Amino acid sequence: MNESGFNGLEKRSRELFDASVEDIDMRVRSRLTQARHAALEAVAARPSGFFRATWVPSAAGITAAAVLAVALWFGAPHGSHGTTAADPQASFEDLDIVAASDENSGDPMEMLQDDVEFYDWAAQKTADSDPATDGVG
Amino acid sequence: MSSFVKLSHAWMAWDGPSRAPEGVVLDQTRELEKFLADIERRAFRMAQVALRDPDDALDVVQDAMLKLARNYAAKPSAEWRPLFYRILENGIRDLQRRRAVRKRLMVWLPGPKEDPDGEAADPLETVAASGPDAPERLMQAEAIDKLERSLRELPARQREAFMLRNFEGLDVAATAAAMGCSEGSVKTHYSRAVHALRERLGEVW
Repeated sequence: MNESGFNGLEKRSRELFDASVEDIDMRVRSRLTQARHAALEAVAARPSGFFRATWVPSAAGITAAAVLAVALWFGAPHGSHGTTAADPQASFEDLDIVAASDENSGDPMEMLQDDVEFYDWAAQKTADSDPATDGVG
Repeated sequence: MSSFVKLSHAWMAWDGPSRAPEGVVLDQTRELEKFLADIERRAFRMAQVALRDPDDALDVVQDAMLKLARNYAAKPSAEWRPLFYRILENGIRDLQRRRAVRKRLMVWLPGPKEDPDGEAADPLETVAASGPDAPERLMQAEAIDKLERSLRELPARQREAFMLRNFEGLDVAATAAAMGCSEGSVKTHYSRAVHALRERLGEVW
């Protein structure tokens, strides 16, 4: 079989196929149009791949972190980001942090136990030097 | 309001991933619409050649359109054609497998026998029998019918290669992408398809 024979076959079959495409009836054309519109609606209803694939996870993460930070900041009692008697849960957490910071030096509570007298002395000195208590101001 | 309550309210108010800007979606949608409008009838005919049944062909084309739109619309438009035909051919193969299973089951089940691969209506009956070009149209309908029968007799991969290369005009690389095989395989399938069609269709072609 020569090449021109093959080319003739390819050309003829392509022409016939094209003709059959042109002869598609209106019912099928209508259904194809409906199918196309349904597919396009699916595109409009979804986030674009670019945003979904790259930006959304990082943007969502940043947003979630920001929301969490803001919520924690403004959700805490005003002016009491330290330890207060009104916030016993935070007090225990802070105590845990202090205790944990000395974990490598043996008993985590050792420092506090040994220096009770020092803390009493320091508190007394602070109270003595307070202008309000001295009547100076 | 506690931090947890505020956070949970914010979470509940969150509406999932942000949608793409309207302009981006609009451009993408227009381009995809043009692509689908260009391709849908040819895709339907290709599916119909393989499946015979027009409703089945419509179903697989619709499914391919939806899958392309949902999963690959964000891809560069140059990639859509091979992707679309890959989805379409997968759909055709799935349907043919289901038919084969159904056919085997029908042998064992009582009741009317279903034969989706059986002979369809005579295509000549659908051609208008009057008008000045009636003889020419009859000959053309007969030639199309003969071509479709010959294509259906080909192994699936040869048929796919021939239709994608010759009817759709895909190059070897795009055909390989659509068929999920190497370019060498495409050339082999295509060459065998042309030889087989030549034998079946005869020298009049």
